[in-house]
Amino acid sequence: MSRITRRDFLKLAGATGTAAALGTFGLSARAAQGKGPRVVVIGGGFGGATCAKYLRGGDAGIAVTLVEPNLKFITCPFSNYVIGGFRTMQSITHGYDALRKKHGVNVVHDTVTAIDPAAKKVKLKSGKTLDYDRLVVSPGIDFKWDVIKGYDEKAAQVMPHAWKAGPQTVLLRKKLEAMKNGGTFILVAPPNPFRCPPGPYERASMVAHYLKQHKPKSKVLILDAKDSFSKQGLFMEGWKKLYGDMIEWVPGAKGGIVKAVNTKTMTVEGELDKYKGDVVNVIPPQSAGQIALKAGLADDKGWCPVDPKTFESKMHPGIHVIGDSSIAGTLPKSGFAANSEAKIAAAAIVAMLKGETVADASYVNTCYSLIAPNYGISVAGVYRITEKGIADVPGAGGVSPKEASEGFREDEAKYAVGWYASITADVWG
Amino acid sequence: MKWRKSTITLLLAAVGAAATACSTTPPPAPAAPAPAAKPAPAPVAAPPAAAKVEEPAKPISAAAAANMANNCFACHGPRGVSPGSIPSLHNLTAGNIASLLKAFKSGERPSTVMGRHAKGYTDAEIEALANHIASVSKK
Ligand SMILES: Cc1cc2nc3c(=O)[nH]c(=O)nc-3n(C[C@H](O)[C@H](O)[C@H](O)COP(=O)(O)OP(=O)(O)OC[C@H]3O[C@@H](n4cnc5c(N)ncnc54)[C@H](O)[C@@H]3O)c2cc1C
Repeated sequence: MSRITRRDFLKLAGATGTAAALGTFGLSARAAQGKGPRVVVIGGGFGGATCAKYLRGGDAGIAVTLVEPNLKFITCPFSNYVIGGFRTMQSITHGYDALRKKHGVNVVHDTVTAIDPAAKKVKLKSGKTLDYDRLVVSPGIDFKWDVIKGYDEKAAQVMPHAWKAGPQTVLLRKKLEAMKNGGTFILVAPPNPFRCPPGPYERASMVAHYLKQHKPKSKVLILDAKDSFSKQGLFMEGWKKLYGDMIEWVPGAKGGIVKAVNTKTMTVEGELDKYKGDVVNVIPPQSAGQIALKAGLADDKGWCPVDPKTFESKMHPGIHVIGDSSIAGTLPKSGFAANSEAKIAAAAIVAMLKGETVADASYVNTCYSLIAPNYGISVAGVYRITEKGIADVPGAGGVSPKEASEGFREDEAKYAVGWYASITADVWG
Repeated sequence: MKWRKSTITLLLAAVGAAATACSTTPPPAPAAPAPAAKPAPAPVAAPPAAAKVEEPAKPISAAAAANMANNCFACHGPRGVSPGSIPSLHNLTAGNIASLLKAFKSGERPSTVMGRHAKGYTDAEIEALANHIASVSKK
């Protein structure tokens, strides 16, 4: 009998229809009725869609419901290349058919409006409720409006953030296309922590790539809340080589911190100076997704503390918070990290539902950035759990070499494109 | 309903198993961390080179190997089938994968990013995750 796994047991129980007799086994009884344990996943982005798929792959007996308002998901990764003019919106848009048909995920297009951790229920905008045995929350980020005075949702129509891909991406691209030669593109970069640490600097590169070809007298001005940034040396080396002095970076200590914006005069107010832009791209300070805040999953800084091995919330047991919303040690807020966290959380949930030991976790990240379509750089890391939480494995990871050959940069640009094809297949395929 | 009796016997046996499996305390020895899919390689006869990453004392469970290996698919495609410019893994044997990773780790084989990744794993971990990749890859 020792060789009878729980899965076999569930099959047998189902075959005999003796569910009532096994009533004391909560999950098992439900499985016997033809339904396995129920996991609800909030958000069909990098974290949520990956987790739903790997939960089903880990144990096809689990009933997985994924709640996501959008019929199609538009990725932030590669949206900078739409702004740069060499990638279409279509090519960064993904649907949920494979999750439904290939992986048996119940995808519900709705929005979660409330979570009841005690009753283990989520409420949907449509009025429906869903019961869960375990809940996964991967809602990405939301913006802290009005921390920069004058920058609210309405202002984002004039000064787009384009930090959630979709109409905002298209809007920013249109404004860039309409800009005059000799104009100034201002990019306001956010304070830590935020989604995609190298993202603002890749964005600046892509804007410069477009301007160099079409409006070479123009300028890109980055006003930064920080004094340093991801892959800084490599970005600066690439900027100088490819764009001369088109891109100027103003760190926080030198007046880069933006206090206020005015959408009528198209001005940005720093601590020392006022700047006027022809196009202004404000990437505002961020927090965990609204639903995570509302459900009491976040700390007072607006991000969600979790167990590093399972991503189970430290605020509400039974709920796992993954992706950008979570506090994941030294893992960055990236799509790659969200995908890695999702797989570990899925494996942990499968084990926990079976009452098995949760295996040791291991995380990975690689963030590619393009400085031009044929000039790629990367930062990589391997992560394990230490007493301090999730931390980089010493000696591993790091950034691409400085002063590398053109061929090396070209290879990394090629691999960036390959990475996108692979990860989107891993998440939505 | 001829099969019924024997099924019930099985069921009852299974209930016992499930009771153990569902308890919150870690299950006793036999159900503890599953052994690696393929026997974990015996600790390599003391490698001559010094300054090696320390080998973990406990064996690497199949589930822990899967946790490491699943990360590879973000770049190399689901189950190692890459749709783009990054090499696929599904056509490689466990031995191939392990020796490539070790060569990336030592720098013997130049790479853009693989050296940076491979340095994050002990040789035993490399072998365990290579076994996992080979076991799930589509042919
Ligand atoms: C310009 C830019 C470039 C980037 N480039 C890269 C890159 O090259 N590589 C990389 O690894 N990362 C990159 N990122 C980061 C990456 O986009 C995020 O880290 C990743 O999307 C995080 O995944 P997530 O699951 O946490 O959130 P998301 O992928 O944003 O998914 C969240 C989902 O939750 C849904 N949701 C929210 N609230 C609810 C609710 N109440 N009910 C139901 N559904 C809800 C949303 O609709 C959304 O679909 C980039 C980001 C930006 C902005």
